[in-house]
Amino acid sequence: MKALTANRLDDGEVVFWNKGAWVERFADAELFADDATGEAAEGQGKSQPNTVIDVYLIDLIESEGLWAPLSFRERIRALGPLNHPTHGKQAEGGAAIEALRHAAGASRSTGRVNLIKRK
Amino acid sequence: MYQYDTIDKEFLADRAAEFKQQVERRLAGEITEDQFKMLRLRNGLYLQLHAYMLRVAIPYGSLNATQLRKLADIGRRYDKGYGHFTTRTNLQFHWIKLREAPAILEELATVDLHAIQTSGNCIRNVTSDPYAGATAEEIDDPRVWSEAIRQWSMLHPEFSHLPRKFKFAVTAAPKDRTAARVHDIGLVVRRARDGTMGFEVIVGGGMGRTPYVGPTIKEFLPANRLFSYLDATLRVYNRHGRRDNAYKARIKILVAALGAEEFRRQVEEEWEKVGPGADMPDTEIARIRAAFSVKAFDTLVNRSEAFETAKAADPAFARFARNNLKPHKRPGYTIVEISLKGIGDTPGDATSDQMDAVADLGERYGQNDIRITHEQNLVLPHVKLDDAHAVFQGLAAAGLATPNINLISDIIACPGLDYCALANARAIPIAQDIAHRFADQDRAELVGELKIKISGCINACGHHHVGHIGILGVDKKGEEFYQLTLGGSGAEDAEVGKMLGPALPADRVTDAIDTIVEVYLRERADGERFLDTFRRTGVAPFKEAVYAEAH
Repeated sequence: MKALTANRLDDGEVVFWNKGAWVERFADAELFADDATGEAAEGQGKSQPNTVIDVYLIDLIESEGLWAPLSFRERIRALGPLNHPTHGKQAEGGAAIEALRHAAGASRSTGRVNLIKRK
Repeated sequence: MYQYDTIDKEFLADRAAEFKQQVERRLAGEITEDQFKMLRLRNGLYLQLHAYMLRVAIPYGSLNATQLRKLADIGRRYDKGYGHFTTRTNLQFHWIKLREAPAILEELATVDLHAIQTSGNCIRNVTSDPYAGATAEEIDDPRVWSEAIRQWSMLHPEFSHLPRKFKFAVTAAPKDRTAARVHDIGLVVRRARDGTMGFEVIVGGGMGRTPYVGPTIKEFLPANRLFSYLDATLRVYNRHGRRDNAYKARIKILVAALGAEEFRRQVEEEWEKVGPGADMPDTEIARIRAAFSVKAFDTLVNRSEAFETAKAADPAFARFARNNLKPHKRPGYTIVEISLKGIGDTPGDATSDQMDAVADLGERYGQNDIRITHEQNLVLPHVKLDDAHAVFQGLAAAGLATPNINLISDIIACPGLDYCALANARAIPIAQDIAHRFADQDRAELVGELKIKISGCINACGHHHVGHIGILGVDKKGEEFYQLTLGGSGAEDAEVGKMLGPALPADRVTDAIDTIVEVYLRERADGERFLDTFRRTGVAPFKEAVYAEAH
């Protein structure tokens, strides 16, 4: 399973793709069960360079019955800095945030690595 | 402190206005991200994990109360009510919006601050001694030379596109509080036997992927020849420094590849060509010097009855005085170090309210002079002993009276994976965990001077290579692991730390530190700091203890 992420140009906010729109919560992200759908969305996302920057796909794992980014780095992006629990997206709390906090899968962000290589 | 003139002020206002136009054009889609990125980086604006980060230059770590209040104000209005002081004595705001960045630069310009040359392959903010002008140890005031270097390097056309970034440190005291030997160029003010002032010039130190303690390439450079020599040094680097590989582009790689002797020869040859015409006129140095002229100190006696009485009556103040007050050159005065390492806090972070509190104390009791240290603390360099207790109380009310300067919980940590786009692992929670473990101040004082420095990646913003105990976060198959080094020093006895052994998982790090401390307490001879004991015993007893317990 994958999701598509980026940072919003005008404020840097971490955003996720959902059916043609960019949303702020990971819980609202569109999930791609197959590579082709994800790559199609990635193509669409990258065609909006004046809305978002650094568009890439991230791998997901299951956590507490919900999906969470596989890489720790991406979970921190989806939560906020862990030293300030009231800063960033994590401040909202709730089951979706808890699932992200408790997810244990750990891997490099594959999409991010590709992005760095391209640069 | 040095005052900007009308031309400087107009330039900063123009620069902010120029960036405003660039941001407007980017947001309107008139320029691409590739075109824009170098423009925003030229103004210290990075994209990090959660938002943009603005790195504000604090020239040689020196501020007045008005400037610190402005930083507090920006933190409150444009960030989340705080800022992060860095190992380059800059201030980073971590929650900046691109659309608001031009307004922030406009506000900074009103108090003579900016974010120019806090990014990019240019000469960055100069590090200087936070005790400058206050310590009896110094031969000269290093701020004079730091300011002269700032003026020389600011928008220097020849040195604005170097192979890689370039960092200076300037100190004039035998006790090095600037990490001069691990900078691209470290300048140590020396006095010749005949009284002439000059510099020991150290070139090619550095941390990061390939750490080096820099070699001295000139034992004594007459002070009036400084700028022609810097021109020559930078010119050799600009000509021969590698541009094909970012990891091999710093001057340290060139100096190591050529050898210090050959590098020195090339610089001397170039210096002949440059000639004294490139030196800063003595009149200009004198003009700059006047800005740092001796403050109006009162004539006081060494012993302050008010200070002694307060220490006797207030044990917390006595502890603070022991650890955070340092000797001043004038009788009846002291240097106050303010720890930004509250137990469990994020190293280097200060809330806007705390910045305001320090600004108020600095204005009322400290001759309106506030310094930032490369160890992520603040300093009020000129406080009367008579006022020290009032300053302590003011700091305590703001949560800033942690009495741990140079002790085990006075830890340097970079922002790490909690914020930074380059990091492989977090640095902050490791620092917090160690600080909690050593929260007992009696034990911390028993351990004595012990500098722990943590970086979340090999770029070494947390100076781990020169920590007495260095901790480097690494990514092992996606999990946070930490590589320990021992015996490093960024001071006058600079040394790169030695690897202890295989990296440890996050939950083993604090136990390992505890074990290392226990071995030190067991092994130490009278009067030895951790570093002294380590240098005597070597790594073996520490390695044995840490890895025996790990199995």
